Amino acid sequence: MKKLLLVSIFIALFSNAAMATQTIKAKVNGMVCAFCAQGIEKKMRKLSQTQDVYVNLKKRMVAVELKEGETLSNKEVTEIINDAGYDVVSIEVSDESIAQVKSVLEAR
Amino acid sequence: MRQLSFKVVVSSLVLLSSHYATASPMGFDESYMAMGDFTNNWQELVSNYAVSPRDAFGLSINYMRSDDKRKTRAVEEFNYTRLLKRWNAPHSQTNFWFIGGVGIVQGKDKRPGRDRYFNKVMVTPGVQFDYETTRLYFSTLHRLYRASNINHDFTSVRAGFSFYEADYDQTQPWFILEARNMNGLSEKIEVTPMLRFINSSFFVEVGVNNFHQPRFNFMYIF
Repeated sequence: MKKLLLVSIFIALFSNAAMATQTIKAKVNGMVCAFCAQGIEKKMRKLSQTQDVYVNLKKRMVAVELKEGETLSNKEVTEIINDAGYDVVSIEVSDESIAQVKSVLEAR
Repeated sequence: MRQLSFKVVVSSLVLLSSHYATASPMGFDESYMAMGDFTNNWQELVSNYAVSPRDAFGLSINYMRSDDKRKTRAVEEFNYTRLLKRWNAPHSQTNFWFIGGVGIVQGKDKRPGRDRYFNKVMVTPGVQFDYETTRLYFSTLHRLYRASNINHDFTSVRAGFSFYEADYDQTQPWFILEARNMNGLSEKIEVTPMLRFINSSFFVEVGVNNFHQPRFNFMYIF
């Protein structure tokens, strides 16, 4: 019985790891007001791969959380931000959720 | 009934859709923008649609009146806005814009004996330069309002600061000071201190100019 429980826990943990959240975090130059940055948010939300979007003006960051199993290339993210009129400085892929990114950035 | 009237008024403002009161006289790609600028001698409604990240086309209606109320001008035009150049820095954005239009000016000049009325084709090319950080704002606009024997060039300079840095989803209050003049209609410079509130897709400005007249501006992107 104990063995069965341990195996179940292991499978559950393994499954969660396999379907981990993926969030793309882009550092952006020129993003100084909510009024102008909303173009980025709206374009990102339109993508079928997008689960959630978070914009932080103070940290100059746009974070896009992807749906399970979806991918989005750095090139696509850069193109969307450039088309909105801003410059991407760097891109980082993280396994944090938007909620986690938000709580970390807003706690600083 | 009151709710319906309010909705009708708001919808009308949005549909008609002002002066280029913020850093961006157009929205993002495939967005609509509605703007309004209202004071006693200047009332303007502008709408445009961004066909690309750098180009927007739209319609505008502008009513101007001289200080002595003897001259009035109503301009209805098709407008075009082009982002000529943008410089992005870590904590600032600088833009250089072309703003222009072609339309009809309906004018009235009160004269002793007999008033003069006219309709003329008017062209209104202009350029705007602006610089903005999360705490500071500066812009200057010069626009020609030209028709046959008509020259009402417009010049505006704006500068301001925000009271604090706000998050993306919070309302940010600003203090803005504007000085502007419309050649041929006013020999004076209108100076207006205003409070601006920006929240996501909407902003409003309220102030009182140096002639003790109230002023209200808004902008909405959708």
